[in-house]
Amino acid sequence: MDMKRDYYEDVELFSSGAVVFWFVALLCALAALPFLVKNYYIYMANYMAINVIVAVGLNLLVGYTGQISLGHAGFFAIGAYGTVMLMTKAHFPFLLALPVSALAAAFFGFLLGVPALRLEGPYLSIATLGFGLTVTQVIGRMSIFGGRQGLHTPELSIGPWHLDSDRDFYYLVVAVLVFLILTARNLIKTKVGRAFIAIRDADIAAETMGVNLTYHKTLAFAISAFYAGVAGGLYAFVLRFIEPEIFSLMMSILFLAMVVVGGLGSIFGSIAGACLLSWLDLELRNILSIPYLGGWLEALSKSYFSITGVSNIQFIVYGLIMVLIMLFEPLGIYGFWIRTKIYWKTWPF
Amino acid sequence: MIGFLQAVTSGIAVGSSYALMGLAMVIIYKTSEVVNFAQGEMALLSCFLTYMVLEFYGFSFLAAFAGALAFAAFLGGFLEFAVLRRAKEPNVLGMIIITIGLEMILMGIVSWKFGADPKTMSFPISPYDSVAIGEVFVSSLEVLTFIVALTVMAVLFLFLRYSKLGVAMKATQQNSMAARLMGIRTNRILMITWGISSVVGCLAGLLISPITMQPYMMWDPMLKGFAAAVMGGMTSLPGSVFGAYLIGIIENLFGSYVSIEFKSVVAFAIIVLVLCIKPSGLFARHYVKKV
Amino acid sequence: MKRILLALSIVGMVLGVSLGAAAEQGVTDTEIHIGQWGPQTGPAAPWGSVARGADAYFKMINAEGGINGRKIVYHMFDDGYNPAKTKAGVKELQENIGMFAYTGGVGTACGLSVLDYLMDRKIPWVGPSAGSLDWIHPPHKYLFAVYPLYYIEAKALCRYAIKNLGKKRVAIAYQNDDYGKNGVKGAEEELASNGLKLVAEVPVEKSDTDMKSHVMKLKNAKADVVLLWVTPIHAVRIVGTGRALRFAPQWMSTSTCSDFPLMYTISKGLWGGVIATTFGELPDSDNPLMMKYKKEAFDKFAAKGERWGVFYTAGITFAEPLIEGIKRCGRDLTRERLVKEMEGIRNFKGIGGRISYAPFDVSKPYECRQGMKEVYLVKCLKGGEYEKLSDWMEIR
Repeated sequence: MDMKRDYYEDVELFSSGAVVFWFVALLCALAALPFLVKNYYIYMANYMAINVIVAVGLNLLVGYTGQISLGHAGFFAIGAYGTVMLMTKAHFPFLLALPVSALAAAFFGFLLGVPALRLEGPYLSIATLGFGLTVTQVIGRMSIFGGRQGLHTPELSIGPWHLDSDRDFYYLVVAVLVFLILTARNLIKTKVGRAFIAIRDADIAAETMGVNLTYHKTLAFAISAFYAGVAGGLYAFVLRFIEPEIFSLMMSILFLAMVVVGGLGSIFGSIAGACLLSWLDLELRNILSIPYLGGWLEALSKSYFSITGVSNIQFIVYGLIMVLIMLFEPLGIYGFWIRTKIYWKTWPF
Repeated sequence: MIGFLQAVTSGIAVGSSYALMGLAMVIIYKTSEVVNFAQGEMALLSCFLTYMVLEFYGFSFLAAFAGALAFAAFLGGFLEFAVLRRAKEPNVLGMIIITIGLEMILMGIVSWKFGADPKTMSFPISPYDSVAIGEVFVSSLEVLTFIVALTVMAVLFLFLRYSKLGVAMKATQQNSMAARLMGIRTNRILMITWGISSVVGCLAGLLISPITMQPYMMWDPMLKGFAAAVMGGMTSLPGSVFGAYLIGIIENLFGSYVSIEFKSVVAFAIIVLVLCIKPSGLFARHYVKKV
Repeated sequence: MKRILLALSIVGMVLGVSLGAAAEQGVTDTEIHIGQWGPQTGPAAPWGSVARGADAYFKMINAEGGINGRKIVYHMFDDGYNPAKTKAGVKELQENIGMFAYTGGVGTACGLSVLDYLMDRKIPWVGPSAGSLDWIHPPHKYLFAVYPLYYIEAKALCRYAIKNLGKKRVAIAYQNDDYGKNGVKGAEEELASNGLKLVAEVPVEKSDTDMKSHVMKLKNAKADVVLLWVTPIHAVRIVGTGRALRFAPQWMSTSTCSDFPLMYTISKGLWGGVIATTFGELPDSDNPLMMKYKKEAFDKFAAKGERWGVFYTAGITFAEPLIEGIKRCGRDLTRERLVKEMEGIRNFKGIGGRISYAPFDVSKPYECRQGMKEVYLVKCLKGGEYEKLSDWMEIR
């Protein structure tokens, strides 16, 4: 099908003119979006984009390197708090605060990667879970971080531009997002990415072939922590107020779910998974206003279930979607996409 | 001295409910290498149904609890049959996500049916009466939980080691293809495993319910039970119980003497330290992979 | 990958239909749109009845013909106690339909995440369902607080304990957040003015289930009064553990745990003797307004399985000043007029304490934007019955 004739063809970003065209078209569409839809959808797009950044980073760790992390909310929190603290207390400009706090998150990721060298499976998940919980507890205690009262994010200005509306923020987030996705894709196609995949498939064999396990495993943790830190810093500005309880275990679990439901080991998968699950997260509370289904659900609630707990249907739907996607396609949404592509490519056989 | 003894006793008391959850998770992991995040909610559903039966239909305690255990066994087996088995070529993370999805569904069902107000379950032993051992007080419910936890651990341990079904379970975990070739019906074994695990979880839930009942009550015991199981070794039953009591005691000692706020943090820190020294937990045999 | 985003943007274009704007946003000739968020799901779900109480209240008002010819269209959504969802929901309501005002809203964090958004757009918000100092420090022109400050409740309880019960050793078990810390502050100040100090301050995490170390600390401090600044579930656990450890001080709690029938049931009778503050009429009181609400709002419009409890009536309490303000505007209903009328409210009594506001003055936040400044104390008797211990106490 698609044969690569030399190394550079394998690594290149755009394999043909058609791909470049569609990519530019997509960028134009993304740029035009805020002018076509209402502000609320821009807010939703910001939220989805931030989740995409985390999912892509987490996929580098989980999908490509085969580790597992239930503590990514901790890195997210470090990025958020770091950015806000640097901007308010140390008066860093935003363009400096964000990378610095992301690097801080990466440093903690590196630290978390060290136990990961010996642990795997559920053991590693408990270590990362502990880390996630510890970060929120420590932040919640220390009053320089605002303690449990939380912190208000300051106004955001980059150079001469003052970003205070959802639309301004959208452009910033999408720019960061596109840059990070291209970086991730480049990473995967080159030496480091191949090392990650080798570690996932057979780590002892990889070590014998010369892949430095220590360096690459901790690097994987650090890179995914960096992505989560950047996303956290941006999230602080989307929400305009952060407090430790937001960064809960449920958030870590949702990040992992986004990656797995989207498709392990595929950037397209993590984008799709993050978009789907964060859209569901925000929109499912309106489930009762769907024309026929909503009315039927309300009637059902009144007769057999309690009407007061009726909003819990959103959890049932959310869980059901996750379970059904994983049952029918273990490769996640990416698996569906591949199957559709193959079906059409090989039709009518 | 009394303070120290009280803290240790309280730690043992609270460790018992973690131990039961840990046991439940270890059983499933032993047979199918799946971390069951839905453990707590499976117990939750059984407990809430027991509550409904006790309050609104006026069954007696014995009938209600026996019914709860039977329902729990059925629920565990049903979930395995209907959901877990249908997964095609599952990988470990995929199964974990499926259990998380099940957890959300079950929690949604319980919250939907029963509403959000906290409730309490009537129980033959009051959770607030206490027994005095010297100057140290233990509530009677906790004594019961302790006895139940140790009994369940002993029963399961002997069951897995000496009974035919138990040996079949271990065989399924070690090499399921070979087990099937030897005539073991692995599907049925898995179903039974889930049923047993669900029953143990239900016991944990029933022993927590007399204090308060709300849809989120099983989340914390499940996490601590999971952590305890990991520390003790995910494939070792006595290990998870030991881990649970260790966590309970450390938490309470730390809370009494150093700082109440960082209780849980310290528990996890200790677990990470233990795992760094013994990567498969305290009591498990560390299988070194042969290349 | 990229095609999914493209598809989503197309969907967004198709869905981007804007509705016609009214003269004042949220007000037409026949309708007034009012919004509220609440945790209908999640760990804070018991507080969801605040939003549902307001729902029944508005339905009752509509059944009586509305206000000056306009009916109230009430929009309530579930935010699961997650500020991101609160923000999403408020933005959606404002941009799709456009609310005239907001009422209630459980949760300090959730409220703070939308505070700037609402204040920038000059949208009135009456009665946030949390007694936090953040609503009035700094004061905002369009935010009218109703819930008495937690700090004040602490002072009232300490004052009663010292003066009427003669106790000296006061301790507090507090939730480790804004709610709890305000309680500690109020207790410390009141005790200091009597030359005393807190003998123990025990922080409680929301996720803690085992209360033994906490109660041990209280017991070792030999406290004879313990203030409970925690959620109802934790309060029951603490009292129960206290009973098991043979520790029986005078327990005192905030209005969050003042739903005595519920507390008595879930604590299996241990709640008897607990003293709590409350800021509304008791559910079984014979206050005529209360009985009217029960008959006209609750019996007719409440969902099956709903309980006539403290959070439910609190939802009504937080919405009453807003309705009073709207009534006083007559037919000329704009946000500026509403603010002016609300600032003129003096000693308005609904089913809560007296509510007074004053013209906006940054140097007097408590007078101008804190509506209810009084609470009273009740004691739990056998069977969850109430005994009124004091009259309305106004405390600074």
